[in-house]
Amino acid sequence: MSQAQTSVGHAEKADIFCKDEARVDWHSKALWLLRQKRDRAAAAVPEWEELRTLGSEIKLHTLTHLPQYLEQFEANCQKNGIIVHWAKDGDEHNRIVHEILSKHQVKKLVKSKSMLTEECHLNPYLESKGIEVIDTDLGERIIQLNKQPPSHIVVPAIHLKKEEVGELFHEKIGTEKGASDPTYLTRAARAHLREQFLTADAGMTGVNMAIAEEGAIVVCTNEGNADMGCNLPKLTLHSMGIDKLIPNKEAASVLLRTLARNAIGQLITTYSSFYHGPKPGGEMHVIIVDNGRSEMLKDKLLAESLKCIRCGGCMNTCPVYRRSGGYSYNYFIPGPIGIAVGSKHDDTNTIPWACTLCGSCTYVCPTKVPLHNIIAYQRRLKAEAGKLPYGKAGYMPMVGKLMSSPTLLNCAMSVARFSLRYLPGSMLKPFAGAWGKYRELPKAPASSFEAWYKKNRSK
Amino acid sequence: MKIALFIPCLVNQLLPQVAIATTELLEKLGHDVILPEGQTCCGQPMTNSGCFNEARSTVMKLLNAFKGVECDAIVCPAASCLVAAKENFHEYDNSPEAKAVIDKLYELTEFLHDVAPVDSFPRAFPHKVSLQLSCHGLRMLELANASESMKPGFNKMAALLEKVPGVEILYPEPRDECCGFGGTFAMDEGAVSAKMGNDKAQAHANTGAEYIVGFDPSCLMHLDGLIRRRQLPIEIRHLAQILNDAI
Repeated sequence: MSQAQTSVGHAEKADIFCKDEARVDWHSKALWLLRQKRDRAAAAVPEWEELRTLGSEIKLHTLTHLPQYLEQFEANCQKNGIIVHWAKDGDEHNRIVHEILSKHQVKKLVKSKSMLTEECHLNPYLESKGIEVIDTDLGERIIQLNKQPPSHIVVPAIHLKKEEVGELFHEKIGTEKGASDPTYLTRAARAHLREQFLTADAGMTGVNMAIAEEGAIVVCTNEGNADMGCNLPKLTLHSMGIDKLIPNKEAASVLLRTLARNAIGQLITTYSSFYHGPKPGGEMHVIIVDNGRSEMLKDKLLAESLKCIRCGGCMNTCPVYRRSGGYSYNYFIPGPIGIAVGSKHDDTNTIPWACTLCGSCTYVCPTKVPLHNIIAYQRRLKAEAGKLPYGKAGYMPMVGKLMSSPTLLNCAMSVARFSLRYLPGSMLKPFAGAWGKYRELPKAPASSFEAWYKKNRSK
Repeated sequence: MKIALFIPCLVNQLLPQVAIATTELLEKLGHDVILPEGQTCCGQPMTNSGCFNEARSTVMKLLNAFKGVECDAIVCPAASCLVAAKENFHEYDNSPEAKAVIDKLYELTEFLHDVAPVDSFPRAFPHKVSLQLSCHGLRMLELANASESMKPGFNKMAALLEKVPGVEILYPEPRDECCGFGGTFAMDEGAVSAKMGNDKAQAHANTGAEYIVGFDPSCLMHLDGLIRRRQLPIEIRHLAQILNDAI
């Protein structure tokens, strides 16, 4: 993906995003609105905190018994007539998908949002093989037409204003010039997508949950597009990470209660469909992908990030994400969960620091992924690998020396206090880095507390 | 009680008025207050950056300053430093002496609310205050219920301030969003940090309060720098300063 290959760090990209303050305010407010809706929806469920605990336990239990649940899922899928494939990485996933599609001479594939296919870079791969791929979720279609990756996992086009969508639709699907009415644009998109569904040779979706006991998959959308894509063509494909497994329907009922509420404050996704097998005369394929997940499972803390059910709640609450935008993260999943699962893939090594460790994400998470702990841990992993950004590798040892020596620290701070008191601010600001660029320097006291204590309290 | 003060470097060097207020307040409440020597920093700037090797000697220096000190509690008027000290002590030292220190660590609000509760503060502070619910105190020390949590609400800082006659408590909107200080975050991510801080400072000012009151000096110092740059009509005060004036 283009954004993953860049070497521009998070802070620099965020700095550019922040230059248009009105846009930052609009972006932040739009996402905060989702957080507020989430708060209201969660508050309306008296057992909300119990549901979070239960959700966390269900996911952790499944992850710690994954081999048995994967086997059970495969066996039950096969009983239901579903063809199961295993892919160790993204490349193998893409090859499997292509083999199935070319066997059936598929020319056009309608896809419903799957972050996993983003992770595997499926679209460009299939397009290079001459297969047309149409993303069918409205937001996904907008960014596909705009040739952009998602900037959020649940509301992927949240960075675009309705006027920009109107412009894009005018250019790509022939809506009236200057039209930006959301209802008009949505109707136009609907007509455009309807044509795609009717002419597609195969449908593909992601998987929200895979139920081991049933050999069934659950797909959640608000627009019903996954269902259109699954019910019209005879051939359907469904890609899932191994972390999507859950034991049974009861587990699904717990997670379905929190997923949409935590995402956008909705009681449940409008279409929460359970697929148990192919339609008569059709074929249903499930591709189970590892792509680094078993490696993460070996680390107790990183493993917890696989409890994530991709509601996007952590992004909506994250004060940094809301003010730096989804494209500043150098990974296809932005925000706190993106840092938790994507730090290893960030070649700028900056995304673990795109966080104040405020912990709001951890408290919002419906499956209690300890996001801020994982993010702090990702910093440690970077440090241990010798990959510290922002010059930290150079200055941290000096800070360590300074802080561990009262004499050195006192000397340095006396000089600092003196300078702050007696030198003009304009002289100091260049030395005070980012602090002085945006803030007034601290008002310095005459002496330290220790000096006061010695003078006033020493017996 | 016999209380050993844990005064982090930032408070010691740049905000001594917070430590002085803490000392005077605890003394007025009848406690015996001492300042063990040799404290510098909790190691947070380093451990928050992932640099655990670089933090070791600083953290051990602080821990050793408290080992063997005779006291009933170690009290700190800075929530995030207290959290860091607790976590870092665990990280580097498993000894019973370290555990004895860790078990006595309290943040000032926590101490005044849970350990040695105060019934009332006699002197009035007839002012509007906007509460700064800083993240580490909020979510890692549970000094108040975070707005994300659907557990029953509580707020230890508000509970203490409510005992001061005349105080009117207000909250910024959003109520407990991070101010964007985040230690080295303020340096590494300058633009986002400043935007978060400016939004927060404005939200505090929008309440019409005269003071922003909080339990974390570092967040307050960051907000202060932004407030003065933008000349907003509001000032920062640490909780210890308000309570000390009210007794």
